[in-house]
Amino acid sequence: MDLLKSMKISSSGLAANRKRIEAISSNIANAQTTRTAEGGPYRRKEVAFGSEPARDNFADILEGEIDAHAQKVHATEVVSTNEPPILKYDPTHPDANADGYVAMPNINVMKEMADMISAQRAYEANISAINTSKSMAMKALEIGR
Amino acid sequence: MNVNDKTLQALTAGMKFREMRQEMISSNVANAETPGYKAKRLDFEKALARALDVDGQMGMKVEDGQHYDVGNGGFENLEPEVYEDPNGVVNESGNTVNREDEMARMAQNKIMYDALVQLTNKKLGMKKYILNSER
Repeated sequence: MDLLKSMKISSSGLAANRKRIEAISSNIANAQTTRTAEGGPYRRKEVAFGSEPARDNFADILEGEIDAHAQKVHATEVVSTNEPPILKYDPTHPDANADGYVAMPNINVMKEMADMISAQRAYEANISAINTSKSMAMKALEIGR
Repeated sequence: MNVNDKTLQALTAGMKFREMRQEMISSNVANAETPGYKAKRLDFEKALARALDVDGQMGMKVEDGQHYDVGNGGFENLEPEVYEDPNGVVNESGNTVNREDEMARMAQNKIMYDALVQLTNKKLGMKKYILNSER
């Protein structure tokens, strides 16, 4: 049924945006992190989105043209950006170099907050799409009453 | 009385297409931030009008013995048209989805869907009334 597929598409949007919120949370939490497993300061993470046809099984592939156009979204990968770290003068810091500079993560907390609001709005838009699909399906059950 | 008459066929076809349109809009909203994604539109009004052929102007006529009577296509092979929105404004990531526009379209689509359900119920109610009227 089409409406169930609509809900699946919207839920893919929810999952992708949740992943984005996760990355943003990680960025904000690690805004001061100077030591990481891969060495050096924390690098800002960003989520890349990609779209794919909303097909789950062979029957869906056979179904026809419309389904090729309706696209799910998925977070394809989480990339660590290559922005150079910010050097901050703090000779008392345990990770300061010989000149007294500390390499801090290149994270602008304001930007992360703005990204978070945008991700939240995207999440809400998908939620209201699910609600619309749901109430359409419920309305269809009234036929013949 | 024809139980599955033209009106009911048109109503059910309309509901089917509105469900498809809902799917299309969901896809647009979900991909509002996917780089390179283009907003898609689904057009079924023309195909439905051709199938209904209220004024008899849209059907293909048979004027020669060698012509095949294809009629107006009927409801069996109704095909909606899917295309990328030509009026979309491309943003910096190559995406043309306008989320507010999609939400407005979704609301409109839902209202029309609910109207179709109500009309179907009215039509079925009339048929029920006919079936029970002789008692």
